[in-house]
Amino acid sequence: MEKVLEQIIDGIVKFDQDSIQERVKEALAAGINPQKILNEGMIVAMGKVGKLFEEGEYFLPEMLVAAMTMQKGLEVIQPLLMKSGVKSAGKIVLGTVKGDLHDVGKNLVGMMLKGAGFDVIDVGVDVTPEKFVEVLQDNKDAKILALSALLTTTMPNMKTTIDAVKRAGLRSKLKVMVGGAPLNETYAKEIGADGYAPDASRAVGVAKTLVG
Amino acid sequence: MNCRERVLNRLAGKPVDKIPNLNIIMTFAAKYVGVPYKKYITDYRSLVEGNIACCEAFGIDMVSTISDPYRELYGFGGNIIFPEDDVPMCTDFLVKDYSDLKKLSVKDPLKSERMLDRIRAVELFKSRLSKSYPIQGFIEGAFAEAVDLRGMNGLMRDLIEQPAPVHEMLEICTEQVIRFAEEQIKAGADFIGVGDAAASLIGPRHYQAFALPYEKRICDAIHKGGVRVKLHVCGNITSILNFMPLSGADIIDVDWMVDFGKAVNAFAGKCSANGNFDPVSVMLRGTPAEVEQAVTKCVEASNNTTCISAGCEIPKDTSFENMLTLDRTLKN
Repeated sequence: MEKVLEQIIDGIVKFDQDSIQERVKEALAAGINPQKILNEGMIVAMGKVGKLFEEGEYFLPEMLVAAMTMQKGLEVIQPLLMKSGVKSAGKIVLGTVKGDLHDVGKNLVGMMLKGAGFDVIDVGVDVTPEKFVEVLQDNKDAKILALSALLTTTMPNMKTTIDAVKRAGLRSKLKVMVGGAPLNETYAKEIGADGYAPDASRAVGVAKTLVG
Repeated sequence: MNCRERVLNRLAGKPVDKIPNLNIIMTFAAKYVGVPYKKYITDYRSLVEGNIACCEAFGIDMVSTISDPYRELYGFGGNIIFPEDDVPMCTDFLVKDYSDLKKLSVKDPLKSERMLDRIRAVELFKSRLSKSYPIQGFIEGAFAEAVDLRGMNGLMRDLIEQPAPVHEMLEICTEQVIRFAEEQIKAGADFIGVGDAAASLIGPRHYQAFALPYEKRICDAIHKGGVRVKLHVCGNITSILNFMPLSGADIIDVDWMVDFGKAVNAFAGKCSANGNFDPVSVMLRGTPAEVEQAVTKCVEASNNTTCISAGCEIPKDTSFENMLTLDRTLKN
């Protein structure tokens, strides 16, 4: 592997925010194409960060700052990726359900998914079922709807949202994944979701499985 | 043996007629007495009524003023929204950048509407219950209060990117919550609950730097008032189990994701573990048989100071049958 790609990986894993954009520019100047920088640099780095989280070495602060570092690097190559027509891993509409303002999990999932090459439309927090439907109607190519809830009082709004998506005739072409502290696999199945992720790191794997 | 004797005996490792049931009730209690949640958390009489009614009906052994995380934040000037019958929300953060710390000042709890409401709840508990129940006042931990002021996303990044002003903010939070605790102690609290929710998310290194030293100062101040501490940190605290007793807390709540036996062992000889079945899959969605099984499993992992409860708040729509089964299992 090129040394500069190793430096990009190392920079993200060790959250070197000050120099990550320089490293990415160096990689481009060395003739490495943007897709290779994404796939063999950034995605590999975020995979390592996710592994460190699962192993109990990294926690939320490290995950967030590593993801922010990756985002900074991504800003440099994103216009080039778009220009060269590189396909994303899939479009994902993401948000926290009605009544729930807890967004740290949702934000982290969003960053991890972007880091894995997905195109993420973040609808925000306290999103009504109607708003999710509206965004999905505007993004008919979305492959996944990802819903987050932290509270036991708001988690029923996941089912309300899924039901609204069904009524709007959008459910059949869409996979739904859910996450949040009070949920589990059984609950996810009962409300009609296709996937459940217990944390941001594993959300990437679930999304990849759902888009096949 | 009344509830107060039961809890105090248990903490001292002395014999009890039932392992204390220390479940946290908030939305459940409001629903039980038919009070919209906004009223429950803004009118201390409703909170006291709901608590006493639930403790009597479901065998819970401690009344508590726990309600929502925004009593202190309201005092600081936070913009809190109170839905009619739902939990309150904070839509804006007071500390947008650390120059905003200059605008923060520690408030007199007796002159701050929402802190005063909780102090009055303690007084009313005291006048109604005499010494039959232990009375728990409640404060935010400094770290949780810092999250409320700065926002979770911002604070988590700041721990790595700009730790110095985080400590400045934690100093202000510590001073505020200690003053709030002191007033609740004067009002008659036997325990002060300290809610330091987000401390479970930061891992042992940051916990020791940003949460534990402040928890310890808060516990020391509460102990100085002759009162015990029940520390509640929601979420998976497995990575900080060995450090949490250094706070000096007398009871540490253990959320359901943690191996309870491991927590009981880590706390042995230092403080009581309280926990830890899943409030959602067991209490809200489980059958009575599943409740019995989950409670029994926790009892089997206990030592002679352990108390029992769900890992976090009993969800609002939990069935009465499950609540009764929980306490019946403890009695048996």
